[in-house]
Amino acid sequence: MSRHPGQRQSPQRAAQKEQPKTAQVPRRKGAQQHTTKPQGQWRAWLRHHRAMCLDSARRLVHQPVGSVLTMLAIAIALVLPSALWLTLDSAKLVDAELDASATLTAYLDHSVSDAEAGRIQEALSAQPEVSSTHLITADKGMEEFQQALGLDDVLDRLDGNPLPAAVVIAPKQPDPDEMEALAERLRDMSGIEEVRLDLAWIERLRQLSELGRRVTLALAVLFGLGVLLVVGNTIRLAVENRRKEIEVVTLIGATHAFVRRPFLYSGVWYGLGGGLLAWGLLTLGSGWLAAPVAALAKSYGAHYTLPSLGVWGSITLLVCSTLLGWLGAWIAVSRHLAGIRPR
Amino acid sequence: MIVFEHVGKRYGGRFEALAHLNFHIRRGEMVFLTGHSGAGKSSLLRLIMRLERPSRGRVLVAGHDIDRLHSSQLPFYRRQIGVVFQDHQLLFDRSIFHNVALPLEIRGLSPRDTARRVRAALDKVGLLHREKALPIELSGGEQQRVGIARAVVNKPALLLADEPTGNLDPQLSADIMRLFEDFHHIGTTVMIASHDLALIARMHHRILRLSDGRLVGDEGGV
Ligand SMILES: Nc1ncnc2c1ncn2[C@@H]1O[C@H](COP(=O)(O)OP(=O)(O)OP(=O)(O)O)[C@@H](O)[C@H]1O
Ligand SMILES: [Mg+2]
Repeated sequence: MSRHPGQRQSPQRAAQKEQPKTAQVPRRKGAQQHTTKPQGQWRAWLRHHRAMCLDSARRLVHQPVGSVLTMLAIAIALVLPSALWLTLDSAKLVDAELDASATLTAYLDHSVSDAEAGRIQEALSAQPEVSSTHLITADKGMEEFQQALGLDDVLDRLDGNPLPAAVVIAPKQPDPDEMEALAERLRDMSGIEEVRLDLAWIERLRQLSELGRRVTLALAVLFGLGVLLVVGNTIRLAVENRRKEIEVVTLIGATHAFVRRPFLYSGVWYGLGGGLLAWGLLTLGSGWLAAPVAALAKSYGAHYTLPSLGVWGSITLLVCSTLLGWLGAWIAVSRHLAGIRPR
Repeated sequence: MIVFEHVGKRYGGRFEALAHLNFHIRRGEMVFLTGHSGAGKSSLLRLIMRLERPSRGRVLVAGHDIDRLHSSQLPFYRRQIGVVFQDHQLLFDRSIFHNVALPLEIRGLSPRDTARRVRAALDKVGLLHREKALPIELSGGEQQRVGIARAVVNKPALLLADEPTGNLDPQLSADIMRLFEDFHHIGTTVMIASHDLALIARMHHRILRLSDGRLVGDEGGV
């Protein structure tokens, strides 16, 4: 495909190309020289952009059904990856909470007294890897255990407290390997019977969210291609419909950029329209799901609200959809212009 | 202005539409191109516009081998040539005014200058009163005159016309030829393909005769 020099350059540079050094047919004598100042070229360029922008919008409005169907197809292709991305985004928050809840529990020997337990807790707090500690004495542990089970009278019948005192340790880095190493060292300290950490399920959740991220990325790429195809096909038909016009303007000296411009604006309008529709669908959808999700979360005693796009998310969605529309149009027009030769 | 050097043109590898063409047209000259149907008149004009490329030889316009023009330079080359097409090449979905304005729109003229020049061109071909009409509402001859107005609206240095009077009555044909002569008088190089032997004989300009793609006559040059 041949590139026109004015394309994606400043009009100023395009204006310089207006007077190519080669093959300048000399103006006939007596004719007034048409000297165009760069400023005038800027204005002409802006004028044509404005004209084509409005013209392609008008063409879309004149075929409302077709335009809306194209935009809907784009919107549907955008909604699925966006919704997945939002869900993952909220999963990231859960991730952060998981990190905060990554703790080790050091169970102390039965023989350790409460005073000794306090000293052990201080010693543990002094470790460089440890962020904070929290002591659960044997009595406190029993109390919590009974509350959790709701079986106070049954356990009352046990003689003595079978539970050891424990220190819950929050590490500075919730890194599985470092926590493992820390646990290994703490096991050798006197007064500590056992150190437990349960990382397997955290790891599993991490893998799951990584999987989700990759699936979303793959889907976004696939559906992005879908948008390109939808726009590309629509623009291909538009180019075919205006074939005669393209031939004629090429005959009388229109550049590729000039011919391409109205179609690129059509692509931009399709993309923007599709993006707005997708935004509307996402907003409607999350409004529709909000009540049952909140009720479900409440029944688990949790507080969870559906994520929403927010300002930046909305802007990202619209910019992406507009760019996709533009790109789809660009590919379609470039491919088909090469096949149109004036007769 | 226009030099053909041993130019030949084959279509589809075998058929020779033009062969061994050698001639020189000076700047500001007015030349008629004549010959039977299928002689190669349109093909010759299309070579000058670089809508076709010669299979042999060179075509020079203003001293430049136009075969060497990069495709990105073509639009700017074509803007300097006004062309009246044998089949008009009008756009049927826009008014006469906007058809004639097209070359100016492409060049980015302001709407005010465009309107002024379009009306002047339409006035020259006697169609100013039809500026709002669509081409479909015009007769064949009127459409042809719209094509002529579009070719001259840009005040080109080189004017090519392929059968510009094919659909016109004798009176109108003479008027249109006089219009081309006016352009010739202010220095435009004009080349007109025409069947109308009686009319072009009366005008006393150079005549190139084509027959089966060969130059068989070159008369009346200065
Ligand atoms: N694109 C093409 N492909 C193949 N052959 C062609 C093509 N264009 C023209 N020809 C052939 O070249 C020959 C010259 O055609 P051209 O159109 O130049 O003739 P012409 O002198 O303009 O005729 P007319 O007076 O009827 O317009 C014809 O025999 C035609 O069939
Ligand atoms: Mg012809």
